[in-house]
Amino acid sequence: MKVSLQWLESHLDLADFSTEQLCDLLTFSGIEVEGVESLPDHLVVAQILSSEPHPGADKLSVCQVDDGSGQARQIVCGAKNYRVGDKVPLALPGCVLTAPDGKTFEIREGKLRGVDSLGMMCSAQELGLAKESDGLLILDSEAKVGIPMAELYPTVFELEITPNRPDCLSHLGVARELTALLRRPLKGRRDYGDSQTSVRPGSPSELRLETPGCSFYTARIIRGVKVADSPAWLKQRLKSIGLRPINNIVDLTNYVLFETGQPLHAFDLAKLEGAVVIRQASEGEGFLALDGKEYTLSAQDVVIADEHKALAIGGVMGGEDSGVTEATTDILLEVAHFDPPSIRRTSRRLGLHSDSSYRFERGVDPLQVIGNSELATRLIEELSGGKADPELLTVGSPGESPTSIKLDGDLCRAVIGAPVSDSEIAEVLLALGLKNSTDGWEIPSYRRDLERPIDLIEEVARIRGLDAVPASNRAIYTPASKADLAYDFLCSLRNRLVALGFFETRSLKLISAAQLNNDLANQYRGMNPLRLKNPLNDEQDYLRSGLLPGLLATAARNQRFGQSNLRLFEAGRVFTATPKGDEIEHEHLALLLTGSRNPRSWAHDASATLDLHDLRAALDVVCGQKVNLTPLPDGKLMCACSIELGSGKKAVKLGSAGILPPARARELDLPAPVVLAELDLKKLMTACSRECVFAELPRFPGSSRDVAILAPISLAAGELKDFIETYDEPLLVSVELFDVFADPTGNKLPADKKSLAFSLLYRREDRTLEASEVEASHAKLLDSIRQKFGVEFRQ
Amino acid sequence: MLEELETIRKDALAAIATVTDEPTLEEQRIAFLGKKGRLTMIAANMRSIPADQKKAVGQALNEVRQAITEAMEKTASDLTAKRDAAAFASIDPTLPSRALPQGALHPLSLILDDAVRVLRRMGFALADGPEIETEWHCFDALNTPADHPARNESDTFYFDSGKLLRTHTSSVQIRTMEAQVPPVRVIAPGSAFRRDEIDATHLSAFHQLEGLYVDRGVTLADLKGTLEHFFREMFGSSTEVRFRPHFFPFTEPSFEVDLKLHAVGRAAKWVEIAGCGIVDPAVFAEISRKRGDQAYDPTQVTGFAFGMGLDRLAMIRYGIPDLRLLIENDLRFLSQFSA
Repeated sequence: MKVSLQWLESHLDLADFSTEQLCDLLTFSGIEVEGVESLPDHLVVAQILSSEPHPGADKLSVCQVDDGSGQARQIVCGAKNYRVGDKVPLALPGCVLTAPDGKTFEIREGKLRGVDSLGMMCSAQELGLAKESDGLLILDSEAKVGIPMAELYPTVFELEITPNRPDCLSHLGVARELTALLRRPLKGRRDYGDSQTSVRPGSPSELRLETPGCSFYTARIIRGVKVADSPAWLKQRLKSIGLRPINNIVDLTNYVLFETGQPLHAFDLAKLEGAVVIRQASEGEGFLALDGKEYTLSAQDVVIADEHKALAIGGVMGGEDSGVTEATTDILLEVAHFDPPSIRRTSRRLGLHSDSSYRFERGVDPLQVIGNSELATRLIEELSGGKADPELLTVGSPGESPTSIKLDGDLCRAVIGAPVSDSEIAEVLLALGLKNSTDGWEIPSYRRDLERPIDLIEEVARIRGLDAVPASNRAIYTPASKADLAYDFLCSLRNRLVALGFFETRSLKLISAAQLNNDLANQYRGMNPLRLKNPLNDEQDYLRSGLLPGLLATAARNQRFGQSNLRLFEAGRVFTATPKGDEIEHEHLALLLTGSRNPRSWAHDASATLDLHDLRAALDVVCGQKVNLTPLPDGKLMCACSIELGSGKKAVKLGSAGILPPARARELDLPAPVVLAELDLKKLMTACSRECVFAELPRFPGSSRDVAILAPISLAAGELKDFIETYDEPLLVSVELFDVFADPTGNKLPADKKSLAFSLLYRREDRTLEASEVEASHAKLLDSIRQKFGVEFRQ
Repeated sequence: MLEELETIRKDALAAIATVTDEPTLEEQRIAFLGKKGRLTMIAANMRSIPADQKKAVGQALNEVRQAITEAMEKTASDLTAKRDAAAFASIDPTLPSRALPQGALHPLSLILDDAVRVLRRMGFALADGPEIETEWHCFDALNTPADHPARNESDTFYFDSGKLLRTHTSSVQIRTMEAQVPPVRVIAPGSAFRRDEIDATHLSAFHQLEGLYVDRGVTLADLKGTLEHFFREMFGSSTEVRFRPHFFPFTEPSFEVDLKLHAVGRAAKWVEIAGCGIVDPAVFAEISRKRGDQAYDPTQVTGFAFGMGLDRLAMIRYGIPDLRLLIENDLRFLSQFSA
């Protein structure tokens, strides 16, 4: 909301405060100053007396201007948009202007291409009055030469008023707040109490209230008004807060709104037929509003109507056909109180937001309705020559004053945590306009946000500020939560992966249907994905049910920017629903590898590409133990495997791994094989949460035997290894596969065979083994392998 | 005989002096000290030396053997040293490193880990809650009016079920108080969602860090001390912190927190960084109603809550100008954070 300093100063003395001090004052009372428009000193209104071409520069001219001093001043100027006689802003030497980049510069006397220039004529942009401008700012021809520009463009604050303080949505409201902060009184306030107004309930033939959307409605008829331009002071006030003057009647309704925060509306009485009816709109009723747009109303909207037609959307906007025009002579002035939720609904549904709806939505003080009607009436009489009917017609009731609140000083001190005396508390509340009575603190009718003791404590804390409160550092011991353990586990995983050369990514959790269909491993496709009811667009309408779509999008994006060697991981939440529709949230971890294993360097062969075995190595590190990859069918991954810890019946399935089908990789413009894995973090954490237990070191040496098995090329190494590892031989303590060899040419090995070389270690805990014992066990094992797989052994 | 020994000594030392490799040295050892070496032969002939000369000759023999042995050992160790030196002579230590793949944490994780580390030192435990929330947890329980604009479908993502994507991590306050009795001292980092088009300063999904402390006699002074300490740990011990009164439905009084920060090459500037306040008694009343007990009786316990945007914290800490960089995962960006 724009607030003019000059306007505020009509309510209280602020001359002893700089703009900066006022900003601080407002900011620390909870009213955020989002911007200040303030013109500098030494900037005056000047009139251009003459303009001659510059002798040394085509684009410049030499002007003589009247700065009000009585002597002509010479200014060299580059603009072309003025005529001799125009009035323009003139920055005199010493004037400090701010450039758009925020830097300041001081105007000095100088020469431009050899010609004296004793100041600068300014554009709106140069004065910060517009973001862009073309040429000099041409001022109103009535502007007085020599006066400070600040009188034409007074300082204006852009304030953010929090939703709990609708009472501050006016100059009077902000001024009232400043009186509390500065402990100084409002001055010269025109107070039109109820007593001065003669009020009469309107008869049904005059006023009918037929909806709960309006609690109190007043109408004042003013006859014989002369609609004309507003006087200069009124125009200037409205212009200063960014409003366009229209005519004296409309301008005064706007003025009263920004003065008091009370929205009001003037109807052309001649356009009204019969009684004024405040009613619900009929469903589908059309209405042409002041903004020139046709709105279709619903039965929930409140309209102000006459016997035949709607005249205004109550509290939101007047109608095109019933407004004040130059032909208007008699008006009906509406000042009312509308129900905030009803206004909010209507305004939101119609997408129609006005200064009026904004205030009614947040709450206007119904007890000020009559006084504000009186204020507006007097001003209209003064400026338009009209004469108001003696009585104000009303319907409904403005309701009661707010309830008084008792405040216990100890409670206040307990919340703030500082010694605030009862008299300090009272001093603050009195400054805010509260009154102490036997029932507690009487609340001014405009402070309807004050309902509970805590609201009063808030006022004390707010006005005193937190600077006055000493900081304390109270803490307690807290045991680790489940979330703590999960977080620590994740940190350790992340650090391990980073040490392996992985980059952590964080992708959007909202993805497209296409991503869901294309890029999820089978395991995460079975569940029902969750679709938003109101997505922003169809690129982000589903919650991800797995992390691979995001990782693949990231890989594709990096590829486009020339980054093709990628080790990526992401840890985060994924979402699915059960067939019943219950949402399930899981934490997942996903890995993606593609491109060269080694960066291009003098020390490495850069041609080797990352493959499934690199992925498996990373999974081993992630799990802190060897994982098992068990092939499983999956339409979305090649070489798809289930990632398992342990084997057989005790195997824990953590997720799946595989290779992105080349067709999909080509669609994503990813050249190298892309290997992927996704696993469930909670399962992983459970499976990995083992305590380390010390085992006695072997006291006797073991004895190892190597064996090269000539196996069919189709025999999975894992099958052989599993067989050996689970073979019932108490002396066998470890098995390592140390060589895999195949020769497609068939020279060294038959082309349909491969050689798998294992190293087997035999050992006894209690003594050194005899060579004969090892040989016997080894021979028995080889025999079993031969029988089981029908393989031969290479010598 | 003594003369002959002297000749052997001279010959041996001269021969050893010319040795430049280990095989030659071995040849010389055999020539002089081997089984049939010249010195060994003399020793074998000691029997024929007259008794009165035996002592002198024996002594000379030992001296010569020792001299030859020492010379040989010296030469052997010189040769070893030379070979050792040669073994590493071809290494060029100025070659760039054998590149290991280098990864990095996402800057949001870095800032989150930092914040969590600090807050854990201050006795906060982590808490968690679902991102798909009920309207009650996200709004009602947090004293948000039924027709508050934040509930609007234009601002919040909804599901057909009526549930929504939480618009703030404050819902975890409610989840925690439902499940735990005071004292409660938790922080909850997590995602929050608002129906904003993505641009340099808006993300439809962003990250927040929530804090809640409920106990007997928790005060504004405690809140002030907590946040001052936290931000000074995060941004340096001389960081200026200020509290501006503000409004949130679920705290009363409420404040916004500004830090005075010095971006590189710029004047120090107050930057809004967090919201906080004393938990509104209405929140405790609603929790008590839901729990059906008096664990959160507003006349018995008070609490403070705070919340801040982690994305914003990361932008400030690392000088990141555009929020979109945080979701694009460009390696040229991510690799800047491999510390």
